[in-house]
Amino acid sequence: MSMKTLDSMLKLVEKPARYIGGEVNIAKKTITKDMVRFCFAFPDAYEIGMSYTGLQILYSLCNKEENIYCERTFAPSVDMEELMRENDLPLFTLETKTSIKDMDFFGFTLQYEMSFTNILNMLELAHIPLKKEYRSEDDPIVIAGGPCAYNPEPLADFIDVFLIGDGEELLPTFLNSYTKGEKKEDFLKKVCTLDGVYVPAFYDKDKKLYDKAPDKVVRAFVQDLDKTHFPVKPIVPLIEVVHDRSVVETFRGCTRGCRFCQAGMIYRPVRERSVDTILNIAKEQLEATGHDELSLLSLSTSDHSQFENLALSLMAYCKENNVSLSLPSLRLDSFSFKVLEEIQGYKKSGLTFAVEAGTQELRDVINKGVNEEDIYSAVEQAIDLGWRNIKLYFMIGLPFETYESLDGIAKIAENIVNIRRRMNGGKLGKFNVTVSVSNFVPKSNTPFQWFGQNTAKEFEEKHNYLAEKLRIKGVTFNYHDNETSVLEAVFARGDRDLGKVLLRAHELGCKFDGWTEHFNKEAWHKAFLDTGVDIDYYTTRNRDLDEVLAWDRIDAGISKKFLLDEWEKAKNAITTKDCRYGCTNCGINKHIKCPMGGVYHE
Amino acid sequence: MSRYVIIFSKTGYAKYTSHLDINRLFRRSIRKQGIKLAYSQGFNPHPKMSFGQPLSLGYTGLREILEIETLENYQPWYLKDKLREVMPEGIDIIDVKYLEDDVKSLAAICDYAVYEVVFPENITNVENYLAQDKIIALKKSKKSKELKEVDIKDKIRELVYNNNIMTITLDQGSISNLSPELLISTFLTFSDMKVSRSDIEVTRTKIGFKDFEI
Repeated sequence: MSMKTLDSMLKLVEKPARYIGGEVNIAKKTITKDMVRFCFAFPDAYEIGMSYTGLQILYSLCNKEENIYCERTFAPSVDMEELMRENDLPLFTLETKTSIKDMDFFGFTLQYEMSFTNILNMLELAHIPLKKEYRSEDDPIVIAGGPCAYNPEPLADFIDVFLIGDGEELLPTFLNSYTKGEKKEDFLKKVCTLDGVYVPAFYDKDKKLYDKAPDKVVRAFVQDLDKTHFPVKPIVPLIEVVHDRSVVETFRGCTRGCRFCQAGMIYRPVRERSVDTILNIAKEQLEATGHDELSLLSLSTSDHSQFENLALSLMAYCKENNVSLSLPSLRLDSFSFKVLEEIQGYKKSGLTFAVEAGTQELRDVINKGVNEEDIYSAVEQAIDLGWRNIKLYFMIGLPFETYESLDGIAKIAENIVNIRRRMNGGKLGKFNVTVSVSNFVPKSNTPFQWFGQNTAKEFEEKHNYLAEKLRIKGVTFNYHDNETSVLEAVFARGDRDLGKVLLRAHELGCKFDGWTEHFNKEAWHKAFLDTGVDIDYYTTRNRDLDEVLAWDRIDAGISKKFLLDEWEKAKNAITTKDCRYGCTNCGINKHIKCPMGGVYHE
Repeated sequence: MSRYVIIFSKTGYAKYTSHLDINRLFRRSIRKQGIKLAYSQGFNPHPKMSFGQPLSLGYTGLREILEIETLENYQPWYLKDKLREVMPEGIDIIDVKYLEDDVKSLAAICDYAVYEVVFPENITNVENYLAQDKIIALKKSKKSKELKEVDIKDKIRELVYNNNIMTITLDQGSISNLSPELLISTFLTFSDMKVSRSDIEVTRTKIGFKDFEI
C-alpha cells in the first residue's frame, strides 16, 4: 500500500488517529509465511469499538498464540470512506496497514442489529465480494460472532462462518485448525462439527446440504471463568474513546430471569471470577495502562456472590492508588449506598433505576423483580445522601401492557417528586426525575420471542399519551426513535430473506444506522419496497408456538421448553424466582455444569 | 520538588495524535511508571505538566518540549529510561534535563520556532514573496470567528529554501505568534502554485526560548 496516499488522506479527515494504530500495548509480530492472519473488525467507529471489552479479550487471547496474528479494523467515518474510495485505498488493518484482502480471516463482532449495513460497507471497502458465493479462494474467510450471532440468518448471505457462544476457547481453536493454503471448503467441513461453529452454506431453509454438519449447532461454553484468560495489558487508545478506563469482567450470566432480556438468557449459566483473581487483574491492568479509572463488567454488579468483600477490597486499593472506581448497575440496598457515598463523595452523578414497567402486574409479566416500595425507600436514602438527579428506565410495548401500566409510569415519577417535596419542606428545589422510555424489541432466544412488536403507530400513540401524563414539574421525559426500534426488531428475529434487504439498503447508501445523523429512513423503506419484503411479517406478527423459527438451528443452551413455560407464566403474570435460590429448569446444565447447582430434568 | 524538561520527538503516524492526546499519553505513562507528579494547589488540583508550545495536528516534531514537576527527585537519566520503556511507536524521548528554579515556565518564555516545509515540487518566487511591503493573511479572530486581515511579514524571522524545501523561523510565543499555515497559504497564493495542502509536510525542528537554551 502506498504510504503517501494514506498519509496525505489523513491530513484531510477528522480525528485521523482513528486510522493510525500504534497505540500502547498493541501486538507487534514478525510475520511468517505460516502465520494465520486474522483481522478483528468492529462495525462501528473506532471510539465505540475500542470501548468494547470483548475486543480486548479476543485480541489478547489470539495474540498469545504464536502462530496467530490478530489485528484490528473499524468502520471508517464518512469523510475517510470517501477518500478511500476516491483513491482506491482498500480497508486495512491498523497494526500493519495490510489490506484486509490479504488476511486469512476477517471477523466481525455483532453487538447490535443497527451495525449490519456497516458490515456490508466494510466488505466492499475491503474489496471483498459482499455475497459469500461470489468469493474466491483468495478472499479471506469472513466470520462473525457476538450476541447477534444467536440469530445468524439475516447475515447468512455475507458471512462464511458464525462462531456462537463464549469465544475464549472457540476462537483460538477455530483459527488453529486452519492450515495456510487449505481449500476453504475442506476447512469449513472440518470445523463445522466444533461446538459453536455454524456454516450457513451447509444448510438450506429446511434441510442440510452437507450431511456431516450437525443438525443443531450448540453454542460454545467456557466452564471455568476464573481460569479463563482476561487481558491484563489492554490496548490504550491514543485518542479519547467512549470508555477510557480499566475494566474487569467479574462474572458472566445472570440468574434473575427477566423475560425480555436476551443477555440474561444467552450468557447462562452464571460463572464468576474469584475476588482474588479480579483484584489481581485490576492491579495488573492499572499498572500496565496508567489508567486512573477502574470499572467492573457484568450484567448486575451486586450479584457477585462475594460482592461486599470485592467492593471493599477494590475501594481500599483504589483509594490508596488515586484511582476512581465506578460500579455500574448496583442493586440499591444500604450497602450499595455506603459504597456509592464513599466512591462518589460530593461528586454525585445521577442515580438510575431500571424499573422497566409501570405496574406490579406488568413487572410480574416480565419477571422484573423490583417493587415500588423498594424504589421509594432507595430514593429516600438517595435524596437524604444528596442525590438530586433520579433517572428511571421503562420499556413500552411489552406483552400484556395496558394504558393502566402507562399511567403507572407517570405515577412512579410523580411519587418520587412528592417524596422530594415532603423531604424538602414542601419545595421541589433543585431536583429532577428523568423518565427514559425505550420501545420493546422482542429478541430471539427469550420467552418473548413469539410476541408481536407494537406498530410504529402504537408506539407513537403511547409516547404522546405519556408526554401528556408526564407534564409534571421536575420530570423530564425522553423516548427512543420508533423507526430504528422497528428495524431492530426485523433483524433480531429475521430470516435469510433479509439478506436481499440488507444488500439493497447498502446499495442505497445506508450505514451507521445507529447514529441519528446518518440514519436514512426513506432509503430503508425503499429497500423493503424494492425487495418486496414485508416488515410486519417480522415485527408485529404474533408467531405460532409451533412455528419453525429462523434461529431454531442454534442451540443457545437454554431449552425451548423453558422459554415456552416462561411465556405461559408471563401470560398469567406468574413470576419465576431468581435461580440462585433454586433451579428453575432452564436446561443449561444439559451442556455445562451449572455453578448455581442447576438440576435440570427433561 | 524537582523540575524537568523532557525533549521528545513525534514522527511517523504519531503526528496525527493531537496535543491533548499527547498530554494524556504522558500523564498515563508517568503514572504507569510510578513517577509522582506534583499537583497544583486549590480546589481542582491538576498535575504540574505543560507543553512549551502545542504542535498542530499533522505536524512532525523533532524536538518537542514538555515541562514537568515531580514530588520526589529523580535522576534525569532515570526518567528518560522509564519513559522510553513505555512510549508508543513514533514518540521518542530524546533527553530529560533538570530545569533550575529561576527559569520561568517554558510556555511563558517561548520565543520562536523553526519549521521545515516540504512541498511536492520545487518552489520559486520566494524572493518576490518576501520582497512585498506587507504579507497579508486572513486570520480567524478568536472571539468573533470572523476572518481578519493581518500582516505577517514582521513575524517571519528567517526564510531560506532549497529546491522543494523551505526552512522558516517564525515568532512563536505569547507576545507574537505566527502559525506556519498562514505563511504556507499566502505563499501558495502568491506564487500561484497548484498544490494541495495535504501534499505538504511540515516538521518543527526546534523551539527557541528567550534568554534560555535547552
